[in-house]
Amino acid sequence: MESRLLHVNLSTGELRIEQLSHAIFERWIGGSGINNWIMWEHFLKHDVNCDPRSPDNIFVFGVGPLAGTGSGSGIKGRITFKSPCYGIFGDSAAGGKFPYMVRFAGFDHIAVTGKAPRPVYLYLCDGQAEIRDASHLWGKNTAETHAALNAELGDYPSHVHTLTISQAGENQVGIAAVVSDASRIHARGGGGCVMGSKNLKAIAVQGSGGVRVANPKGMLEWSRGFRASIDKNEAIYGFKRRGTLGAVEMYQHIGSHFWRNNQGNMFRGDEIRSDNWVKKYHKYSEVCSADCFIACDGRYKIDGTESEKAKKYVGETFRRPEYLTTGSAAGALDIRDWAEVAHWGKITNDYGIDNQDLSCSISFVMELHQHGLLSERDIAELFDRPQSLEWGNMEDIEALIEDIVFRRNLFGELFNDGPYWGALRYSQRTGRNFMKYSIYGKGGASFTEEMRPFPTWMNNMAVASRGADHLKGIGLIEKFQRRDLSKRYFGRLEAADLSTPVLKGACTAVVENQVALLNSYGVCLFHWMLDPAGYAPEEYYGRAFAEVTGIDRSPEELMRDGERICNLEKAFNSRLGLRREHDTICERWMFEPTTEGMYPGKVAADMFDTVLDEYYEWRGWDKASGLQTASRLESLGLGDVAEVLAADGALVRA
Amino acid sequence: MSHSPQKELVTGAIWYEPGADIPDVEQKLYALQNQCTDCNVCEVACSLVHSPDGIVNPLLARLKVNHAPQVGRRAPAHGFGFAADICHHCGNPPPCAEVCPADAFYYDPQTRVAVIAQDKCIQCMECVPGCPFDVIFVAPDGELLKCDLCGGEPACVEACATRPELANAGKQYNRVPVLFHADSATYRAVLQDKPEPRDEVGMMQAMLEKGMVSSAA
Repeated sequence: MESRLLHVNLSTGELRIEQLSHAIFERWIGGSGINNWIMWEHFLKHDVNCDPRSPDNIFVFGVGPLAGTGSGSGIKGRITFKSPCYGIFGDSAAGGKFPYMVRFAGFDHIAVTGKAPRPVYLYLCDGQAEIRDASHLWGKNTAETHAALNAELGDYPSHVHTLTISQAGENQVGIAAVVSDASRIHARGGGGCVMGSKNLKAIAVQGSGGVRVANPKGMLEWSRGFRASIDKNEAIYGFKRRGTLGAVEMYQHIGSHFWRNNQGNMFRGDEIRSDNWVKKYHKYSEVCSADCFIACDGRYKIDGTESEKAKKYVGETFRRPEYLTTGSAAGALDIRDWAEVAHWGKITNDYGIDNQDLSCSISFVMELHQHGLLSERDIAELFDRPQSLEWGNMEDIEALIEDIVFRRNLFGELFNDGPYWGALRYSQRTGRNFMKYSIYGKGGASFTEEMRPFPTWMNNMAVASRGADHLKGIGLIEKFQRRDLSKRYFGRLEAADLSTPVLKGACTAVVENQVALLNSYGVCLFHWMLDPAGYAPEEYYGRAFAEVTGIDRSPEELMRDGERICNLEKAFNSRLGLRREHDTICERWMFEPTTEGMYPGKVAADMFDTVLDEYYEWRGWDKASGLQTASRLESLGLGDVAEVLAADGALVRA
Repeated sequence: MSHSPQKELVTGAIWYEPGADIPDVEQKLYALQNQCTDCNVCEVACSLVHSPDGIVNPLLARLKVNHAPQVGRRAPAHGFGFAADICHHCGNPPPCAEVCPADAFYYDPQTRVAVIAQDKCIQCMECVPGCPFDVIFVAPDGELLKCDLCGGEPACVEACATRPELANAGKQYNRVPVLFHADSATYRAVLQDKPEPRDEVGMMQAMLEKGMVSSAA
């Protein structure tokens, strides 16, 4: 396996290409695994407690070894950095054709450090890299930046693909995102803020090179089998057109939405259903990335006949909203019209900002207003203008988005790091405790799905290395009540049973290892979730990894590789001082009972500690402190990591 | 069936004798306009099967996903669309071969399609504008790339991401295959076969219906 890492020091303008050794793939697989290692090594030489907005922070981009090899399992690029909004480990994945093209341009990883003296963009083409002036791009949003770079660079030797930030990133808004090809977003953690803090407006890439596959015949054979197993699954047909929107009906059925800052868990009205979307708005199905057998993304174009509110957006066209775009708009903010939900998706993408943290920040002030906790004076102080804070009012919402993107008033300043820090700063400022209206999990990250009846999800929100999040340890065994999978992994059925805490922490630990593997292969998670034979990246995808890299591992070894990657992310957070008390969730999830849906009267506190204990147990970490143990790290071949942790006082000798 | 007189397309010991009629190729490649999802799997698969060293490179593929097929072709009202630009293996002789000054094209005896003999090709690129469908491509190193049907079982058709619908003869959920390798009668029959009216279900509903998710509290 050959792989090249581009080091970019924006302070000095130095560009250096490093050939990554085969050994690094044997240890860290690729993709997010290698990204994590690059960041870990960086912070052995730099202060790990640095301000994430300072030049000392690192911004790593990486693709996995399966990307663009004909596996058909999608391609996800991954950015890794120290998160400016949560202050902990940060990473985020997205599609687009940018990661695909990075490989053909001859790179697999890009590590950016320092800070450019003026706005720049990074241009990569066929093994060459160049830092170029971006003053003409500064002030543009992600779509405009992408278009300008396309016009500037032309179609030779290949199409241009980009990674861009908008004004939010330039203004170093903590929850600013990085957008791939102007349509797919690396939303979580504030990667856009890190790029903005480095004066790095964009990365543009063109390439005409190739990617070597160790065993082409085996790879073609594998993808043939993979395609056949996907084709057998009936659910895929619907998923091809609806994508994640198919979850809307199911979530309405079980009460898993997030309504008005999670005061409820069902959508109101009948409009926001995936059926209505497909019938009225869906125009064209296409892939989000490349090399994907599913193609669950799609395009809409509003012609004004869809609804009364759609008339405002005639001619608007963009990608179909994903479930969490819908969950944040139709749920958290109670927008009840598809055209407005789609518009929310478009503007959060153009402004390049995480719609989870953004919607929860807005729904927080809306809920304060709903309870009459904000006087007119408070509102005037927050917004510098009279501002109505009506649920579901798109005009209000757009104004509040711009407040945050441009940090143009007190609200924008306080909430630029999301709802947790916003609520905390506002509470401190006013001397009143509003924290119970703020929805967040680990790191202060927020998430717009109902947690309380779903113990594995609740546990995911508390332990995910990058802050509250469902994509590290997806609790689908439990949410889909997959008794077959529970039996397969644990020999028992309880992991699929919502009524007991048993095996929920275990489930998070096992699935986190699997997801870490998939993220390191650099593929999409949907193929794994949808493939009934799949659900076992260590076996199924492990074969593809062997065909591409020549590294042939047993499923047990691969699961250990996944565990090693998870432990490195944990170690990074431990170095920052995170302990058991930081693996927690907000007051509403913890103590306020659900009032509706299939599971009323549930609070997370009922099972929280039991599940967390079990998670630590399966991880082999110390239950009291939440820290890693020397013995477990050594058994994973992470003795060097254990030494660093010991020096920082973040290791338990056991 | 009558055939036009042939230009000499033949090199070496192959089945075609100069002056003899070449039978029309029955099985052709077809690509539906504005149905492709732009997944690039066909390009990746094509470049992989044609690379002796196992190199994937979409620019070495013998077909391309066209990002603006709606221009000048049947455009859907919403204006979106992609299509795979793919060799039609047209007529006898194919226009690309007719313009070749080096007689580098020959008929493959197995697949009965015209292909380029790279050792005879002088890379003059006359065939590129000579192709009425713009499907002869130039690799970064100047090599001319033309579809050779992969020995009769085209990798692109097999890899096309709308394959499930092909397996179901175009009946499922209004989605039809994008790439075909078939005779024209079969191609027309598949296209004219109206999709069965059927409710489309998302992943989670399918699970609900199959009882994979219980609705009991």
